[in-house]
Amino acid sequence: MVFSSISFLFYFIPVTVLLYYMVSDKLKNTVLLLSSIVFYAWGEPRYLIVMTVMILQGYFFGICIEKYSGSRYSKAALMVSVILSIGTLCYFKYVNFLIENINKAAGMTIPLLKITLPIGISFYTFQLISYVLDVYWGRVTAQKNVINFGAYVSMFPQLIAGPIVRYADIKSELVHKKKTDGNQYKISEIAYGIRRFVIGLSKKILVANVLGELAAVYKKTDDDSILFVWLYAIACTLQLYFDFSGYSDMAIGLGRILGFTFPENFNYPYISGSITEFWRRWHISLGSWFRDYLYIPLGGNRVSKARWIFNIAACWLATGLWHGAAWNFIIWGLLFALLLIIEKLFLLKYLEKTRLIKYIYVLLWVIVSFIIFDAASISTAFAAICKMVGFYNIPFLTTASLYYLKSYAVIIIIAIIGATPYPKIIWNQFEKKFIHMTNAAEPLGIMLLLVLCTAFLIDGSFNPFLYFRF
Amino acid sequence: MKRKYKEYVIITTVLIYLTGFAVWGILKKDNDISFYERRRLAGYPDIKLSSMINGKWMEDTERYLLDQFPLRQGFRELKAITMYSVFRQKDNNGIYMADGSLSKLDYVLDEKSLQYATDRFRYLFRTCLQGKADNIYVSIIPDKNYYMAEKNGYPTLDYKLLIDKVTGQMDYAAYIDITDLLELNDYYRTDIHWRQEKIKDVAEKIASEMGKKITEDYINKKSDIPFYGVYYGQNSLPVEADTLYYVYHELFEQCSIYDYETDAYVPMYHIENEYADLYDLFLHGAKSLLTIKNPQAKSDETLVVFRDSFGSSIMPYFAEIYSEIIMADIRYLAPDVLQYYLKGSDFDVLFLYSTTLLNNSKTLR
Repeated sequence: MVFSSISFLFYFIPVTVLLYYMVSDKLKNTVLLLSSIVFYAWGEPRYLIVMTVMILQGYFFGICIEKYSGSRYSKAALMVSVILSIGTLCYFKYVNFLIENINKAAGMTIPLLKITLPIGISFYTFQLISYVLDVYWGRVTAQKNVINFGAYVSMFPQLIAGPIVRYADIKSELVHKKKTDGNQYKISEIAYGIRRFVIGLSKKILVANVLGELAAVYKKTDDDSILFVWLYAIACTLQLYFDFSGYSDMAIGLGRILGFTFPENFNYPYISGSITEFWRRWHISLGSWFRDYLYIPLGGNRVSKARWIFNIAACWLATGLWHGAAWNFIIWGLLFALLLIIEKLFLLKYLEKTRLIKYIYVLLWVIVSFIIFDAASISTAFAAICKMVGFYNIPFLTTASLYYLKSYAVIIIIAIIGATPYPKIIWNQFEKKFIHMTNAAEPLGIMLLLVLCTAFLIDGSFNPFLYFRF
Repeated sequence: MKRKYKEYVIITTVLIYLTGFAVWGILKKDNDISFYERRRLAGYPDIKLSSMINGKWMEDTERYLLDQFPLRQGFRELKAITMYSVFRQKDNNGIYMADGSLSKLDYVLDEKSLQYATDRFRYLFRTCLQGKADNIYVSIIPDKNYYMAEKNGYPTLDYKLLIDKVTGQMDYAAYIDITDLLELNDYYRTDIHWRQEKIKDVAEKIASEMGKKITEDYINKKSDIPFYGVYYGQNSLPVEADTLYYVYHELFEQCSIYDYETDAYVPMYHIENEYADLYDLFLHGAKSLLTIKNPQAKSDETLVVFRDSFGSSIMPYFAEIYSEIIMADIRYLAPDVLQYYLKGSDFDVLFLYSTTLLNNSKTLR
């Protein structure tokens, strides 16, 4: 089930939230687990069993790790759990990629496996790995209640596209300590959650989907021009941000409605002054996961320079591969590794001295990286980048590209402004001065956005969540 | 408004909106067809274990919920208005509005499609026409964009190139140019097709080029049903419906029209048109093979027409000239089958196709 669907908005959410608040605190996680199972089964009934097995192994090995803490059995339990998690992820995500490349390299014809990627496997696998590692390191205690544990891993707001919520982040909220602090607290949390959810839904449906249509038009056209490829690149870059951050907003909002505080996943990444800063603002939960569970265990930056470069490269190779089993994702990851190494070695100090160049530098590399990210193949990405800089024999503009520029100019401008913190800053200042007016305007605005989203949903067929494929 | 009240208002209004539409959706009677979108709407899918396991039931349910959502058309109109008025987009779902008329963006010349179409026509020529047909003609109907796109700043096809490429491959047929006879008003505002009552001059030109003459006067009759064309359904802007007229002459009463699909005689116009598409009034819409026989025609000659949907509305004009008109639509009938129906010889042949079909010809068989 996707958030931007009639079934979710008008049936699943009202029923789940009403049930959740009707039952006693003891039963809330049971409702959450059951509703998450329905949510998952709606989109991926066949792979429900995979998720169930993964949850049970995480639960079982978590208890074993804690029980035999300090002994080799604890380490063995950790190893088995991590291998099971990574092994399952590799089987579903990478085995066909591996076979394809072996076939190409060795001229063999090993048949591909008839498997599809279970939705959300990359996210819940990472949650399980972080959980068992945290238990092993003694950062958290193992969850003894299988319902609570199942509710944590399968929690529908963040199940299929993140943010990657660590057990430590919500362990206290899982037992509902925070939500018994009085009724008014809940009301403000629910209202905040609704506002956040509707903003995320609007980012997805009103902005990302519309920009996605422009990107799709470019991919289908034969009427190529430099202007058109730039339009595509900008649309694609903005679409990715609004799609993914919109989903994260919805997840965070739903979490708040249900009494959970998920970590923020985006912090206006396109205003970054360096790639290092960009990755502190983009997909924060993934970046911090790799930092804490791969980069630092490898030694981080407290090693020799050669080893440190290796650590960064390994981390970003893994980040690229996490996004997909294809060469363009590997190159995408390694490109960021290269940029980060260059920045850390010498470029960062020069960038910090500039006022405008640093932003142009970041945006250009981000655009290039997302062309690689979005492309069907390396050659397609390379061709698009060459076209952008005029290395292809195509006209600067055509009637069609000019038409699409005019047609999408307003939404692109809205998206560019929306990707900066200025609308929020202006709203906050306005709120301070005219609190009664903003209090009256906010419910109206939320309802208007919700009605518009419904209208776009009913008429639109272009509605894929880009991060579902990861 | 105090913050506390704001929070209560947000929660209450959103809850009422979501649950209200959910309950309305459950209680309201399902619609079978969408009059505006001119299509059947999805019904509630049957619950089967197999379709639940493979996810098909869920997909069908999503489609059902979208199709049967309360106030569906109102929401579609709201989206179209937002796209035009707020986002200032120049089209919605690929349909744009200019000079009071709706049209579809179609600007990429698909040369493979043109080649495929002319290959199919040549195959027809070789298998069914060569040695049998007296005279072969081709006429190409420009779509509405020809008369409205460029001057309103919309990208458009290179029509000259399209016509040159098609006629260049059809060296066995004489080209009849009708582009100068048409104008935007000759097309329905909300539909792709031309208006029958406006194209008599086109029929006269084609007949004249074929050495014939249309002499009768026809009267226009008006359909009582408002005509919301195919572009209306796709665009959803609240545009006034077209009025559909059909030409009439008493000679139509003596014509017998045989539909090979239903193996039955049918009237020239399907006045009691229960289909969602009112344009299907003309010769019953999409038909693979029809014959119009007029024993009182000015000649005892036969005309074979290979056509798309545009042919349905122009062919009644030719009933006064030819004693038999065979209308074949090779989207629904393979040429190999057609040769069994074209047993005679010395007939005239007209290839009458729109640029839209030629540029999207993969449905030709």
